[in-house]
Amino acid sequence: MTSRLFYDLVALVIFALVIVLGVPAIMGFDGFELNTFARYLALAIVSLALALSWGGAGLLNLGQAATFGMGSYAMAMHLKLKASGDGLPDFMGWNNVPELPLLWVPFQSLAFTLLAGLMIPAFVGGLIAIFMFRARIAGVFVAIITLAFLVAFQLVVIEQQGITGGQNGLTGLAPLSLPGWTVDTYGVGFYYLVAGCLMVAITLGIFITHSKFGLILKAIREDADRTRFFGYNVANYQTVIFCISAALAGWAGMLYTLVLEFASPTYMSVSFSLAIVIWCAVGGRESVLAAAIGAILVNMLEGRLSDVFVEGWNLILGVIFVLVVMFMPRGLHGLIGSGWQIITGKAGKPGMRPVDTGAAALPAKSAQER
Amino acid sequence: MAQLQITDLHVEFGGLRAVDGLDFEVEKGEILCLLGPNGAGKSTTLDLICGKTQPTGGSIRFEGMEISQMQEFRRARLGIGRKFQVPSVYKELTVSENLSVARSRRPGILHALTRFALSDGRAVAPILERVGLESKADDLAGNLSHGETQWLEIAMLIAQDSRLILMDEPTAGMTIQETARTADIFRALSDSHTLIVVEHDMSFVRTVADRIVVMNRGAMLAEGTIAEIESNDDVKTAYLGH
Ligand SMILES: Nc1ncnc2c1ncn2[C@@H]1O[C@H](COP(=O)(O)OP(=O)(O)OP(=O)(O)O)[C@@H](O)[C@H]1O
Ligand SMILES: [Mg+2]
Repeated sequence: MTSRLFYDLVALVIFALVIVLGVPAIMGFDGFELNTFARYLALAIVSLALALSWGGAGLLNLGQAATFGMGSYAMAMHLKLKASGDGLPDFMGWNNVPELPLLWVPFQSLAFTLLAGLMIPAFVGGLIAIFMFRARIAGVFVAIITLAFLVAFQLVVIEQQGITGGQNGLTGLAPLSLPGWTVDTYGVGFYYLVAGCLMVAITLGIFITHSKFGLILKAIREDADRTRFFGYNVANYQTVIFCISAALAGWAGMLYTLVLEFASPTYMSVSFSLAIVIWCAVGGRESVLAAAIGAILVNMLEGRLSDVFVEGWNLILGVIFVLVVMFMPRGLHGLIGSGWQIITGKAGKPGMRPVDTGAAALPAKSAQER
Repeated sequence: MAQLQITDLHVEFGGLRAVDGLDFEVEKGEILCLLGPNGAGKSTTLDLICGKTQPTGGSIRFEGMEISQMQEFRRARLGIGRKFQVPSVYKELTVSENLSVARSRRPGILHALTRFALSDGRAVAPILERVGLESKADDLAGNLSHGETQWLEIAMLIAQDSRLILMDEPTAGMTIQETARTADIFRALSDSHTLIVVEHDMSFVRTVADRIVVMNRGAMLAEGTIAEIESNDDVKTAYLGH
């Protein structure tokens, strides 16, 4: 085991203790309070999903909110069907939809729903990825294409009222009923469900980062062309990490629907996608754990401040982002790393990655070469 | 049959014929030195063999297979490795991480997902020792000196272990001692590998070359042993620029 993996696992254990024991203790094991925190934990998953593609492979996916939304709607469709019993979901009646659309039918099944919440985002992400990466699209163009997809996807969802509930989204959901457990969103058990999901996601992320696969992605991030001459199918590597990232985003979306008890097209908005980028950047996009912590911290801050500055929160978020890009391009994670090196006097040694600006997301050189 | 057969190869860059009707062959296990004045098309020839550049005409056969239209990662998998004229290592990765990337005998995703990043550590340690970088294993490649960076890329090609290795000016920027060490390594490599080496350092060429091909203006000017080349009038003229 390498020392860096060791440090990451130690950090994960500490983080897990804080989330599993610390936070519930502070909140007095109060389900209502913990529900708010569970929301942050769900968002932490989508942030770490972005860290895998953006930090790990240099692919800035601005469409992360779309795959998040797919997971979220998958779960909401299932719960809406449960809430509607044998009848049609109410909004379909208002939209003169005569019978349950084919798309909805399989979501009667919980197993299908859980699978779909992961696989549909992965499939869609993979489709976009294959198209982009086979054509050797890189850098800022990845951001533009994924952003364009997000905008188009949100439009379609809003437009197709009869199927999606349009602007209102899907509301009036039943509680999730697992075998032997009807999930109470305001119970402590639900908090642990979300926390458990986050831990699994982080562990998965850490192992991907420290695998040879993660190493090859770093190599591709720095110089995709060079990596091809070692025999790696670069497009396939990029596509797979895109799929994994999309699946994790879908997972986060499913949990998010459970927390808020509705699904809304605002989950697929550009501003939500950009917020994910900011969380990830604040925590540090090169570490999945840091990206998760970034999401939790920024959202806690939002929880505190948005009551005070109702309209101004987006402005604050923007300022945070600019400051992070300018003064700590590798996020809190990079700041801690540098601090550690100063303490141990090992500046310039491993782990001390050359400081790059946000532009590392945009490896400009590969695109024009061929 | 020769391991590599290049026939009537052409490439144009916006009207400039960088490679213009090039023919030569390379036998298995030999060290072929590719010489020529600046701009003769040596690097471009290596680019064409490894797939960095697509030819506008002609054929490249590797072990009997036509590869001139093949994607670069497929050529690498067939057994062609390339060291670039401007040393191309991953500056943001450590020295040993660089070697792990280069050690790509199994380049598939499933294999990579089920291995730790440094699982190649033991396998590449002797290679690091061979090029004298063992004490730098955990340093970032970006912190290496120019000479060390050259060594690292050579080490990466040893780790890649391709049957045909293309070396573009491997000794540029090296001291005399380092150059001599490179010559030893190349001779040892040629037991089980074929090498095409582009070099300007004639004393290095004299020590390693089994055979020499001289290029000028994108085509072959002369071919033979070092003695034959040194007494060739066309070669003298090309280098003196008449
Ligand atoms: N991608 C390219 N686009 C346009 N012209 C190119 C390109 N690559 C090479 N050339 C031109 O092709 C010619 C041959 O270049 P090449 O790099 O192969 O020469 P060389 O023999 O390696 O020279 P040197 O000894 O200086 O490295 C040069 O005139 C060069 O400017
Ligand atoms: Mg050259």
